[in-house]
Amino acid sequence: MIYPLKHYRTRRCLIAITFVAVAFSFAGCAHQSATQSTSTSTTLYERLGGEATIDAIVENLLYRIADDPEVVVFFANTNIDLFAESLASQLCDVSDGPCRYEGPPMDRAHQHMGLTDVHFNRLVEHLNAAMQDEDITLGARNELLGRLAPLYADIMRLQ
Amino acid sequence: MMLFQAMFSPPSSPFRHSLSRCLAFCLAVSLALASAPSFAGSRILGTGGVSAIEGAAGGGLSPWAVLASTASEREIGVTAATTRAWVDDYRLTVTGASLNIYDRIEVSVARQTLDLETLGGELGQDIYGAKVRLFGDVLYHPWGIWSVGAQHKRLVDGAIPTALGADETSGTDVYLSASKLLFSAVAGRNVLLNATLRNTDANQGGLIGFGGDQGSRSWVAEGSVGIFITPQWIIGAEYRQKPDNLSVAEEHDWQSLYSAYFFNKHLSLTGAWLDLGDIAGLPSQRGGYLSLQAAF
Repeated sequence: MIYPLKHYRTRRCLIAITFVAVAFSFAGCAHQSATQSTSTSTTLYERLGGEATIDAIVENLLYRIADDPEVVVFFANTNIDLFAESLASQLCDVSDGPCRYEGPPMDRAHQHMGLTDVHFNRLVEHLNAAMQDEDITLGARNELLGRLAPLYADIMRLQ
Repeated sequence: MMLFQAMFSPPSSPFRHSLSRCLAFCLAVSLALASAPSFAGSRILGTGGVSAIEGAAGGGLSPWAVLASTASEREIGVTAATTRAWVDDYRLTVTGASLNIYDRIEVSVARQTLDLETLGGELGQDIYGAKVRLFGDVLYHPWGIWSVGAQHKRLVDGAIPTALGADETSGTDVYLSASKLLFSAVAGRNVLLNATLRNTDANQGGLIGFGGDQGSRSWVAEGSVGIFITPQWIIGAEYRQKPDNLSVAEEHDWQSLYSAYFFNKHLSLTGAWLDLGDIAGLPSQRGGYLSLQAAF
């Protein structure tokens, strides 16, 4: 079978355009869902289960940190009650809940701790596991992780 | 470790014996299933992609910007993979291994064997690859992860490619690649985007030599879109543009629909449907693809 070259080029071009279109519509959807969740009735905070569930996630996370020798060392001089309260208010704030995070900025809060990607990844895994334990849906988990991901730059800035 | 000695030993000897290859891989898989989680790298599950057919971390047909295994800063990761693709008139077997140093540098080796089931005989090449992460992170950086890589390819026997009009029996591809995960992009699921720009003179990835009467080096684009249905399971599509250097063997772009499942940080299984177009004069090659990767 001989494939006409002209025909083939057109097909190739069409496939490339389809790829780009699909990629951009994904990016568009992501943007839309990010803006929608602030305007429509259900906030991420509500989908996470509100204050009670966020407190449960934080508590679960703290137990996981306590059991992880590589991470717990960073909390040696931390007032755990204050930390728990501050983290819960941050999660509430970032998920469009009725709170305002008033703790220190992320770069100052973590400065000179000697954190590496290893520690950051470990905490992400602990947080994700804590959310799974509290039966948070995959969609809400992904969205919260997506909103927290940009904090990486701030947390690592003053290491 | 016996397995990795076998993977890195000079071509010709152990690769030829499919029994030893099979045994080595069974060993790798049992180690993968048995090893404690502490051997795993600290990066998140799935962020190392799977093994592409040229040995580098990627999606199957195309390399991605991510580095193999889940090794992070100050960690070292090793992967071993075996891959088989069946299309109408050919069968491709790939055995490869890679090393990730500090999530900065990836080096890889792969041996490809293409059985010419209709034409008779076989073609083979060895691919030595290196990839360097320039900056970024697939999850945390707003621009994703960006890497550059090179793949040096050497044909085992250049007689058939030379007879078809190929200029060279070895060649080197260089590429720039970017990957980015979009959190909660579609129905609450994370979407992975990859784009690769490659400069190459390889005909059918190098298996039919390098350069020819219609041209030599050119820039080609490769891309993929995947959606993580669950954190362990991604499905998607890949597209790879190819040069067309040989007038006697028209070459088409490659495309695939893939599904990759990460059992844990040590073991992944990838299946795909391939459409590779015409290969060496035989039209419209379509078929299946299976790849198993073990990582430490």
